[in-house]
Parts: sequence; structure tokens; C-alpha cells
Amino acid sequence: MSKKKLKIALVGNPNTGKTSLFNKLTGLHKKIGNYPGITVNRVSGTFKLDDGTEVELIDLPGTYSLHPTSKDEEVVLKELLTNREGIDGVLMVADVNNLKRNLILLTELQDLGYPVMLAINMCDEMAKKGIRIDVEKLQELLQIPVILVSAKKSKGNGERKGKGKIHQMREMLPEMFKFSSKKYFEYYGLTGTNIDFIKPDFPQENTYKLWLLYTEQDKFKSLIDAHYKQILELPLDHSIVKRLLQKEVVKRYRDINHILKETYHIDKRKATGLTERIDRILLHKIWGILIFVLIMFLVFQAIFTWASIPMDWIDNFFSQTNIYLKANLPDNQLTALLTDGILSGIAGVLIFVPQITLLFLFIALLEEMGYMSRIVFLMDRLMQPFGLSGKSVVPLLSGTACAVPAIMSARTIENSKERLISMLVTPFITCSARLPVYTIIIALIIPKEKSFGFINLQGLVLFGLYFLGFASALLAAFILSKFLTSKYKRYFILEMPEYKAPILKNVWITVWDNVKAFMFGAGKIIVAFSIILWFLATHGGPKFKDAQKYFQTEKSAHTNTPSDLSSYKLEHSYLGQMGKTIEPVLKPLGYDWKIGIAIITSFAAREVFVSTLSTIYSVGANDDDQLLRERMASERNLVTGQKTFTFAVGISLLLFYVFAMQCFSTLATLRNETKTWKWPVLVFVYMTGTAYITALMAYQFLK
Amino acid sequence: MKLKDLKINQKAIIVNCQDKQLPLKLMEMGCVDGVEVTLLNKAPLGTPLYFMMGDTRMALGKEIVNELEVVLTEDDVKEKA
Repeated sequence: MSKKKLKIALVGNPNTGKTSLFNKLTGLHKKIGNYPGITVNRVSGTFKLDDGTEVELIDLPGTYSLHPTSKDEEVVLKELLTNREGIDGVLMVADVNNLKRNLILLTELQDLGYPVMLAINMCDEMAKKGIRIDVEKLQELLQIPVILVSAKKSKGNGERKGKGKIHQMREMLPEMFKFSSKKYFEYYGLTGTNIDFIKPDFPQENTYKLWLLYTEQDKFKSLIDAHYKQILELPLDHSIVKRLLQKEVVKRYRDINHILKETYHIDKRKATGLTERIDRILLHKIWGILIFVLIMFLVFQAIFTWASIPMDWIDNFFSQTNIYLKANLPDNQLTALLTDGILSGIAGVLIFVPQITLLFLFIALLEEMGYMSRIVFLMDRLMQPFGLSGKSVVPLLSGTACAVPAIMSARTIENSKERLISMLVTPFITCSARLPVYTIIIALIIPKEKSFGFINLQGLVLFGLYFLGFASALLAAFILSKFLTSKYKRYFILEMPEYKAPILKNVWITVWDNVKAFMFGAGKIIVAFSIILWFLATHGGPKFKDAQKYFQTEKSAHTNTPSDLSSYKLEHSYLGQMGKTIEPVLKPLGYDWKIGIAIITSFAAREVFVSTLSTIYSVGANDDDQLLRERMASERNLVTGQKTFTFAVGISLLLFYVFAMQCFSTLATLRNETKTWKWPVLVFVYMTGTAYITALMAYQFLK
Repeated sequence: MKLKDLKINQKAIIVNCQDKQLPLKLMEMGCVDGVEVTLLNKAPLGTPLYFMMGDTRMALGKEIVNELEVVLTEDDVKEKA
């Protein structure tokens, strides 16, 4: 090879261990970027061959063919079709158990003219399953280099010394350029469409590429240069094209069968059927559902009980750091910005990391072991009446931690309508940022005693709020499904992977990717908002600037002046003025301007509600919630003399926080995923509208 | 006979699958004429159904199992007789 740098795309079916192999090949040298215009991560890694050639490996999402059915799969087609100059060759990963089906994609890659190497993964299972493969013969018939590997088993000394299978595989990559790739499509004689007329206009072009551009034309509008415009504008008769595409698949299978007949042998008697036996229990009408409920219970137990320990550490760490910095840095604006603005913003992001980590740890483990597909299988029929798919369970479940990664996880849902509905209703699910708000208000208005001697009333209300969030998500989905139309009919096709022990490294990588998506996606916005809010709270008009003077005179003149200077300053800051401006709107819900401020600040992240009230009620940041609760309980309306936080106000606030869309990060994520502001605006309007109306009714009814 | 009429553990062969307006993905995943299919399991609410289709384990929704045609394989017929 004269070239010193190679770009290789890693392609394969889902569940073939492609990502494990990617991790093995590239080690830790991973780079995550974005595809232009979409938010699907573009993961690539690099390694060096013995002769010094640098290889960049690009991990493309798993797909069964080049005809995509989901957003993830679209990436593969677009990358391979429009970036032909940027990719030197393809490394295709196949599962040894499903070789026939995997080779469909391989023949498509060869038809596109890519140099390909085939890595048949999971070969450690061959003996157990009675599979024999004639690699030499397979190479000869496919006309590409072929290697048997096991991502699971390749580790230890051999690899470190550069003698192992993975090393051998890396070194073998340049061999793909020695073969002239075989073509299949050209001999299929698929004619009878409009493309036949313009094919002569592109004599130099790869026939299969033109065919893909034509059949998948709706996915390429605006993406490809003007040169191909006439193909994208050709009228397309879907039923004719579909017939031809089906014919194409049949012919590919015929070719593959010929090849495998001579090279792939399986002794069916050796098949263990272990997965089928496990499924008989895990998918059982009674046991299966019981086990599912038990697993869900465990997941929630972990999020709410186990996560609170590291959350307390983070909380303590940041409040101690804050105290330390305030004590040791000069008392000026810069210090205040650092401590109250930036640091508390970062603390507000990191506090959720334990819950999000735990949740994605469970999701990644279940996915790795193959159970996630079973959840989808069990739940699909139940979700269907709501316009959702079994696959919507993942976003809805993730939503209990944070809506941002949850909305992104909806990408795997093929049907565009079901995907959209899943994304639009996920924000109703009670996320971890609502929890601190619920906790403090419930403690304030619900007695701590037990009813009937054993039911914890406070716990019951909390459960009720979670239920309300989930029920409203389903209701919203139901309503949306009546209004949204779908271009495509709904089809449920799901591969049920084999059960296997999880590879912990893969689990950890998935968890880390999601935590990162939260920290740098939502986190950025939370920190930015917290800095803006800090500014608004610490700056103001004349009454703010000369607070000391005004405070003294007003204090002696009026009775309804706050008791100390810092609350007086907050009242006259820009933020305080904003709270007062919106007070008339919030009054029917039972809130005064102070609660108004807390609601405004909640737009950074809902849990900021608590810290804002702490500031308003002059409770030091280092005191615990107990003090804030006492202070809130004794707070009275200075005009009427009534308690501010009555039962009616409390319930009204709880309902407001269940429904209101108060998270800018979620809206920004929705914008990114749907490419339009239409949907985030709709979500904002219907969620906040519902919040306002229910809170209004609750307050007026209960007061 | 339709795919939905299979009993658990019953084996059959897919026929005429190209005549239906079914998604291409189904065929790409290995559901083509002549492939042997076995019903492994049913979801608690009736559908989806869970099959061994050739070498692939897959679950299919009712809109597909109501459409796809199959014929029972010979050993299955013998067993019944």
C-alpha cells in the first residue's frame, strides 16, 4: 500500500457483536462526533498497522440491508453512498449463526464497488453448535478476504504480544484491496422502471448506486449534488419498485445459498436450543410478566434508594466547596459568579448523574443480555392502542431518569409516527429533576403519619404523582395518534437475539455515552441558564443598587417589607421584577410572586425550584431541607395573613410540576431530533396548558 | 394456511410471500419462499408471535402473521396421522 492512511467503515447486522469488535480493534482511541444535520453519533477509532499505515475505523449503526427502515439505518446508506471518496473500504461483521442472512448486506456492499473484508464473529460458538466453515473456499467464492474471530474470546497475552486474532485481523485489512470485488446486481436484470431511461446518462456510474439513489430517493433530497438531481426527480411507482426489490432479495439469497452450500455446514443435532428454553420461562404468560414486573421494581428501587447515597456525596462536596471558595476568595462579583452561578449550575447537572448512570446501567445490561427485545415483545400489544410500539418502552422507561437521553433512544423505532409520538410524550414521565420538588412539597402538606396503620401517606402521594405522569403520557399518546397521520403502515418485525452473558466493557461504554449525552447536552443548557438566572437575581434597578438605603427607610414605613436585606434585594432584582410581572397570571393558581420566581428559575432545571425558595426565604444554602420546610410552613401572605403553602397551593404546585414543560434541554433535544421547532412548541403548549388548567382547577376547588 | 394458524412447535414452509404487500425488511431478514418456520411462542395478549425463521429468531406482529401463507412440512403431517 502506498497510502499511509486508510478509512474503513465497520458495517454489520444488529446483534452481531459489531461494537465489541470495534472496541477490541481500536482499543480506547475513540472519537465521537456528529453526522452533519443529525444527532446520531459518529463513532470512529484509529489504530496503526505494523507497516505504519494508520487506519481509521468508522463504526456505522447496525442494519440488515442498505434499504433503511429507521433513522439509525439511514445513516449507513447515506454514509456509504454519498461519502464514496471518504471511505477506502468496508469491514463487514457477520454472526456465524446467521451467516446466510448476514451475507445479503455483504453482497450489497460488494455491488456498490467497495473493497470488503468479512469477519465472521462468535466463532467460539461453532463447535458447540456443530458449525463448520471452509474459509479458503468461502474467500474464493466471495472473492474477498474472510476471517473467523471471536470478539468475546480475544483477550489476554496473545493479543498483547501482537499474536492474537484481533491483531491478525488488523493486519489482514489491506488484503481487501487485492481482490476485485464481485458484482451480483448487474446480472439480476431488474428492469421495467423509469431509471432504465436515464441510465445511459451515467455511463461511468456504478449501476447499484444509481438503483439505490432511485429507490431510496426520498432520503436524499438536498443531500446529494446536482449531478444526480434527475434521478431523485424521476417518478417512482412504489408497487413496481417494491416487486423488483423483492425479486432482488430473492436473487441475492439464491446466490448466497449457492456459495454457502459448498462452504457452510451445520449439524442440526448439536443445536442446544438454550435460548428457546429460557424464552419458555421469560415469555410465559404468567411467569414472564411476573419476572418483568420484578425487574422493573428492582430498577426503580435502584434509582430511588441506591442512587441517593452518591447524590448526597455530590451535594455535600459542592456545598463544602462553595463555602470554602466564598471564605477564601475576595468578596466580589467574580467570586459570586463562580460560586453561585457556575458552580451551582454544575452541581445541578452532576447531582443527577448517579440516577442516570444506574438507569442506563440496567438498560444496557438488559440490552446486552438480549432481554430488551423480550420486553419489546411482551409490551408491544399493550402499547399499540396508544399509538406506540413495544420499542417505546425504552424511551418511556429512560424518561424516569432524564428526558434528554430518553428522547434520543427513540431513534430505533422504525415507524416514523410511533417514533414521533414516543418522543412527544416522554417529557410527561416523572424525571429525576421533579423529585426534589415533589419531596419538599409533599413533606409540607401531607402528614407523615400512616393511614390504617401501614400505608405511608407521603409515599402514596409520591406514587400517585408518578402514576399521573405515566398515565398522562399514555393519554397524550392516544390523543396524538388520532391526529397524526402516518405515511407507512405499521409493521412489527423484531429479531430476538440469543441470550448471552453481558460483556461489561460494552455495558460501560453504552452507559458512558448516555451519561455524556446528558452532561454535555442537557448539562450545557442547565449551566448556561443557571448563570443567566444568577445574573438576573443579582442585578436590578435603582432599588436594587441602593438596597441598603431603601431597605432601612421602607422597613420602618411598611409592614410588608421582607425581614432581611438579601430577600429585599431579590425582590428588587430583575428576577424579582419578573416574578411580580407574572404574579397576576399565577394568582388564580394560588401562587404569589415568590413562587413565581421559583417557577421561572425552574426553566433551567426543575429542581432549581428548591434552591430558589431557599434564597427567597433566606435559608443558607448549607442548611438542610428541614429548615427550608419550617420556613415555608410558617410563611404567610403579608396582606391577608394566611399561610402561603396551604394544602390547596401544595396540590396545585404538585400538579403544575407534573405537567408543565419546564425544561429547555428537552425542548432543544426535540428540536434536534425532529429538525423543526413545530414539535417542541406543540409540546410546550400542551404540557404547560394542561399544567395551568389542572393546577387552576385544583386550587379553586380545594381552597 | 396462514402463519397465524400455526400451533406452538409446529413446523411449516413459507410460500407465496412475494405476492403480498409486506415490508422488504421481512424478506431481507430471511423470510423468503421455501424457508422453514417454527412457532416458538406467543405474547401474553396473543400477538406478536415468535418464530424460528430459517436461522433467525424473530417476532412478527399480527399485520404480518395474518398475511403470510405457509404449508405444513411433511414430518409434521406424519406426526399428526
